[in-house]
Amino acid sequence: MRSILLASAIILSLLVSGCSFSNNKEDSTIKIASVVTTESQILAYIMKYMIEHYTDEEAEIINNLGTGTVVHQAMVNGDANMSAVRYTGTDVTGPLQAQPIKDADKAIAFVQKEFKEDFNQTFFDSYGFENTYAFMVTRETAEKYNLTSVSDLASVAGELEAGVDTSWMNREGDGYKAFVEEYGFDFSRTYPMQIGLVYDAVDSGELDVVLGYTTDGRIASYDLVVLEDDLNFFPPYDASPFADNELLEEKPEVKDAVERLIGTISTETMQELNFLADNNLIEPAVVAEQFLKEHKYFSGGGE
Amino acid sequence: MQDMSQMSATDQFIFYMQENGLYVFNQFLDHFLISIYGVLLAALVGIPIGIFISKYGKASNVVITLANIIQTIPALALMAILMLVLGLGKTTVIVTVFFYSLLPIIKNTYVGITTINKGVTDAGRGMGMTKTQVLYMIELPLSLSVMITGIRIALVIAIGITAIGAFIGAGGLGDIIIRGTNATDRTAIIMAGALPTALMAILSDILLGAIERQLDPVKRQQKKVISPM
Repeated sequence: MRSILLASAIILSLLVSGCSFSNNKEDSTIKIASVVTTESQILAYIMKYMIEHYTDEEAEIINNLGTGTVVHQAMVNGDANMSAVRYTGTDVTGPLQAQPIKDADKAIAFVQKEFKEDFNQTFFDSYGFENTYAFMVTRETAEKYNLTSVSDLASVAGELEAGVDTSWMNREGDGYKAFVEEYGFDFSRTYPMQIGLVYDAVDSGELDVVLGYTTDGRIASYDLVVLEDDLNFFPPYDASPFADNELLEEKPEVKDAVERLIGTISTETMQELNFLADNNLIEPAVVAEQFLKEHKYFSGGGE
Repeated sequence: MQDMSQMSATDQFIFYMQENGLYVFNQFLDHFLISIYGVLLAALVGIPIGIFISKYGKASNVVITLANIIQTIPALALMAILMLVLGLGKTTVIVTVFFYSLLPIIKNTYVGITTINKGVTDAGRGMGMTKTQVLYMIELPLSLSVMITGIRIALVIAIGITAIGAFIGAGGLGDIIIRGTNATDRTAIIMAGALPTALMAILSDILLGAIERQLDPVKRQQKKVISPM
């Protein structure tokens, strides 16, 4: 008797699980693609929580994708219908295969138009920050030589040692060679190194100037000064939400939720969020939730 | 803010768990459900196949060889192949788990039924039982514990495979492990992903092991003999 009971229990649980499995497979779920970087993961969770807060939809995150190109492919294949973050500079040269555009406004206008026409996808306006290469120095160095922009380095560059990303050294277009030509000066020595190490190197005084990413959390924690790229040498990498038009037309409330995020995250804010996740052992999901609660989900203050 | 680099790995781990406990729990649940769905689906398909091949001996070689071949494909490769068809995400991982669970479940069902003492089934038939009655009243109850062993092996394998599934965006505890490997000097994050994964495998092994002993007809018999005393 007991075995019959047990057998029926097993069959019942199989049926239940079978049902929920088929629910999982429904295509209408929102799937947000995210690359493996901390920044992208934080933004993916911010997007997910915003959508779940303002709509009845459930959003699923497809995490740990290798590069922006993989994310693009995933969206073209229909594995995902939103991207947590897309950068203008990456997408101009990557999926759209165009020449780099140095002007930020032109670049975003270009990607918005091209993605709409070629892929029927929306490249939203920027979150409000950009993640590009920038030269940075410690506060002491900046005060000592009175530095605010990259051009200010010209007169003292002969005495300074620089550390840069390995891949930047040999890059065409906006790499080291082009930089020397454009700005017309060179450092006394330039060390190619892994990007993650440059912040510590400049903080400890091993190097005087380094080329890093503008949203890295260590900029704020080490109090580094980011020098302004006054000749607009580096192409813009403005960060924006991204989604399939099909989804946005079908569910306009998702569009409203995402549009609330536009212009809300400054470069400094992104640095802080990255710092929390990279340095303080707080998961991107938790960082995102705390951030949204702090800002009341950008409800416009009143609610 | 506390300076994290000054803390020992154990302190970091405790701090991490305090800050992200809920997140880890959610990933744990996701991970477990992906594994369970895959294994249950495999049971749904594998047990009838196992019963079938135990009745028609000729088919058994073909089926078990086929399941064996699937088992030899590395998990990451099988997942990549399935990804081409099914795309990224949870579904692909569930299907991968399904394929890996087939062999232990089919084989154990087959072995469980074929190793039953012939005398018992003959006795059943002698009492006038139909074939279906022999299957439901003799063969299945007697082989149930061996079948559970198959599910137990499958589930432990499945939990390991699901961890790899994070690479194709399925989530689960693998997400935390990957994040740990990308962060510099973050032993605590890797531990926070790896320890619950191991714990899940051990617990499900113990749990199913207990169920298996409960259902083992030989051991159950001994209990009955002992308990009146």
